[in-house]
Amino acid sequence: MELLDNLYIGFQASLAPVNLFYCFLGVLLGTLIGVLPGIGPTATIAMLLPITFGLKPETSLIMLAGIYYGAQYGGSTTAILINLPGESSSAVTAIDGYQMAKQGRAGPALATAALGSFFAGSVATVLVAVFAGPLTEIALQFGPAEYFSLIFLGLISSVALAHGSVIKALAMIVLGLLFGLVGTDVTSGAQRFTLGIPEISDKLEFVAVAIGVFGLAEILRNLENEHDRDVMVTKITGLLPSKEDFKAMVGPVLRGTALGSALGILPGGGAILSSFAAYTVEKKISKHPERFGKGAIEGVAGPESANNAGAQTSFIPMLTLGIPANAVMALMVGAMIIQGIQPGPNVAVEQPSLFWGVITSMWIGNLMLVLLNLPLIGLWVRLLTIPYTILFPAILVFCSIGVFSVNSNVFDLYTVAFFGFIGYVLVKLGCEPAPLLLGFVLGPMIEENLRRAMTISRGDWTVFFTRPLSATLLVISVLVLLVVFLPSVRKKREEVFVEED
Amino acid sequence: MQMDTREVACGAIFVVTAALFAYGTVDLPMGSSIRMGPGYFPLMLAAILGVLGFVILLKGFGREQSPIGGIPWRGLLFILAGPIIFGLTVRGLGLAPAIALVAAIATLASSKATPVLIAAIVVGLVAFCVIVFSYGLGLPYALIGPWVAPLVPGV
Amino acid sequence: MLKSFAAAAAVLAAIGFGSASAADYPTRPVTMIVPFAAGGPTDTVTRLVAESMSKDLGQQIVVENIGGAGGTLGAGRVAKSEPDGYTLLLHHISMATSATLYRKLPYDTLGGFEYVGLVTEVPMTLVARSDFEPKDLKAFIDYVKANKDKVTYANAGVGAASHLCGLLFMSKIETQMTTVPYKGTGPAMTDLVGKQVDTMCDQTTNTTNQIKGGKIKAYATTTTTRVSSLPDVPTAAEAGLPGFEVSIWHGIYAPKGTSPEIVKKLSASLQKALKDPLVVKRFADLGTTPVSDADATPEALKAKLTSEIDRWAPVIKAAGVYAD
Repeated sequence: MELLDNLYIGFQASLAPVNLFYCFLGVLLGTLIGVLPGIGPTATIAMLLPITFGLKPETSLIMLAGIYYGAQYGGSTTAILINLPGESSSAVTAIDGYQMAKQGRAGPALATAALGSFFAGSVATVLVAVFAGPLTEIALQFGPAEYFSLIFLGLISSVALAHGSVIKALAMIVLGLLFGLVGTDVTSGAQRFTLGIPEISDKLEFVAVAIGVFGLAEILRNLENEHDRDVMVTKITGLLPSKEDFKAMVGPVLRGTALGSALGILPGGGAILSSFAAYTVEKKISKHPERFGKGAIEGVAGPESANNAGAQTSFIPMLTLGIPANAVMALMVGAMIIQGIQPGPNVAVEQPSLFWGVITSMWIGNLMLVLLNLPLIGLWVRLLTIPYTILFPAILVFCSIGVFSVNSNVFDLYTVAFFGFIGYVLVKLGCEPAPLLLGFVLGPMIEENLRRAMTISRGDWTVFFTRPLSATLLVISVLVLLVVFLPSVRKKREEVFVEED
Repeated sequence: MQMDTREVACGAIFVVTAALFAYGTVDLPMGSSIRMGPGYFPLMLAAILGVLGFVILLKGFGREQSPIGGIPWRGLLFILAGPIIFGLTVRGLGLAPAIALVAAIATLASSKATPVLIAAIVVGLVAFCVIVFSYGLGLPYALIGPWVAPLVPGV
Repeated sequence: MLKSFAAAAAVLAAIGFGSASAADYPTRPVTMIVPFAAGGPTDTVTRLVAESMSKDLGQQIVVENIGGAGGTLGAGRVAKSEPDGYTLLLHHISMATSATLYRKLPYDTLGGFEYVGLVTEVPMTLVARSDFEPKDLKAFIDYVKANKDKVTYANAGVGAASHLCGLLFMSKIETQMTTVPYKGTGPAMTDLVGKQVDTMCDQTTNTTNQIKGGKIKAYATTTTTRVSSLPDVPTAAEAGLPGFEVSIWHGIYAPKGTSPEIVKKLSASLQKALKDPLVVKRFADLGTTPVSDADATPEALKAKLTSEIDRWAPVIKAAGVYAD
């Protein structure tokens, strides 16, 4: 069988001692650096890229891939422990993960994230190995109209991210979309809402906005009742998930894996939507949606699995077409070129040991990640017992360096302070930051695709309904809207959230 | 009349923000639906945000006051100043002094800050960050910047 | 990791033992700024050259990516840096086109820099989706003229190589296509491979493998002679559109006032790097070749920059597009 042959070639490469070593090194460095607040996978890979120049091509790619999912996992750790998402996907993990940490359940939350990620990573790796070719063809069916409809669906569904008022969540999404549009308009080159500041003439930096609205706002909230508490968490109950926890996470992990694998294939946006989508699904089908936002383990298991599955399958367009799906993949493509490999449709044929070596190493890397992180949980959890007076200056310093290292742009630091202020004010007024962040990420994408679709269809609005994929997505959006606003459902919601509203 | 000032304030903030964004689009071409200009989509969003804000505002009337809680003025001042100070000094003073400044300022945000505690946090964080970021990760930023380099003996 | 330790140690050593004169240059690591994101084609060119020049200069050249505003932010940073030879800039054709695309710049294009030399010229290719009707460039031009703005042309955003090439092509054939802008080459290429848009013109760096893999088809290269990695693709002149020539040239600059000795040292080191077999090979993979010794000089770069500013200004002004 061809697949077995290929896997054999792959494991031969990825199990070579030198590759195992660098895979482990990548996973370890990725985890450690990803844990530093503000430094996500993109910044980590950019910083460590030069190290890989001296290595053989497959070794260097295996190590970079290891850094990628290691950093992603490390980012979830900070999101759970101190409410600091390093990138958009961990913003979702922060919602319930941080609440779990505050309740002394950081251990189970971290373990759930690790196990869910491992399962999702393993399944997605098999998918990549078996279906890479055909899946690429499906991804190519997605034109601007389909992307518009997909993102629209994502935005509508993200109302579920908030556990308070629906209308405030919608307002936060729209506000996020507007902030996302700050900078150069891709289509016309015009500057929008930049107030003549050259540093934001491209866009506001995501990391700076995320750290502002989540991290700084959270520090301020904790300072409110500084006199009552010295440390974030006084009692820690158990490091590993209980039997009930395991039972509760099975479904979310399976669903998250499926969603993440499917969405991850779509270049630009798929992987971002996957963790948001998984959270929405879990909240919608849960018998107790009121627990979400207050430390529901499903709210960690689903998005974390989706996020990791999406991260694996987002390698598909890069490996089969040589087209990077996101900033991290762009760095990987750069690394391949520097190594003298031309990324493109021919890589699988011309470089089988590289192609399959990287794929199989993903599974090995995920295994290492889980083995590495389960013992570390005890250490991470202990961080929470550091007196807050010492912890938050450290967070602030790491965030400052992290944000600065993304673009070497001093202005990004002012953005952090600005959004810290905005985030704190809005939290005070009963609005939640997660929908704002989703809007911020998707704002430019939905606008670009809307305009592109309209240009290609020559101003024909029906294009969104005549293309079957796009129409299907829009129909689902309408159904979701109906569910959210249907009087009976809404009444139930308000009863549930009466103290919040 | 009874009114929930938190909700009313929240709605009002959204309405004002929407108005500001709408004002920001006045100089941008609207275009047509086949060729949407840069102003088309943001104006649409600003309108939606305005309506949502207005609804939140209206719903705030006739309701009980929601709790707002205390505001940590001291924290607000020092925490928000942290990244700004870092931004102003990292190029000129260099990485190490900038870290020291931010660490000191951030510690001041706590009402429990004492000189000894501040000194300890500053020393600890500078040492940790220099080792991790400059040596370990090789961030390409000078530890001692051009403003202070001439003052340091031996440079 | 070792390398970064070494670099950091060198920084400390430099702080400890004081700055030295131009004769000893360089005594500490040199920063080369790329005004684009890491991983892109310009970044790749820079890292290859920087790695080789480091070996020659005996000091690490650290590549720092300062992206934003079409490369003008990074260029502005270098223009304002100390002219001590420790901050350099590697920039491409945008150095010339930004002078017209941006009505206000944070630096003086012709007066703000010292020139080290040209590095390479990357050719462009005019490509289309694999099932697009016209067979060759002639048929394509006829098709565009007949169908006018029904033909969609993808580009990677205002000021991008694909945008400039499209402007020049449309001005040559005196017909407008419908331009569909994307944020970067990646998504634009995805939609071309996915047959969502009709045509595009981009650097061989991005197109060669898609052409070889049969995912897109090529009408012509924008060069005077055929590109070695694409021997079957005719030049624009061969295919019937003489004068349609564009290349993405890269040059290294230093802040104005950098001492001539340092610039001379850098030019010599650049010339050596461009003969490094590894650099030559990687450049060939990218579909390009290093420039000759005569072009890797301050004079050649200055001449190129001046002539390119004059060449693009009317094209950009005629199209009426500005980036600010």
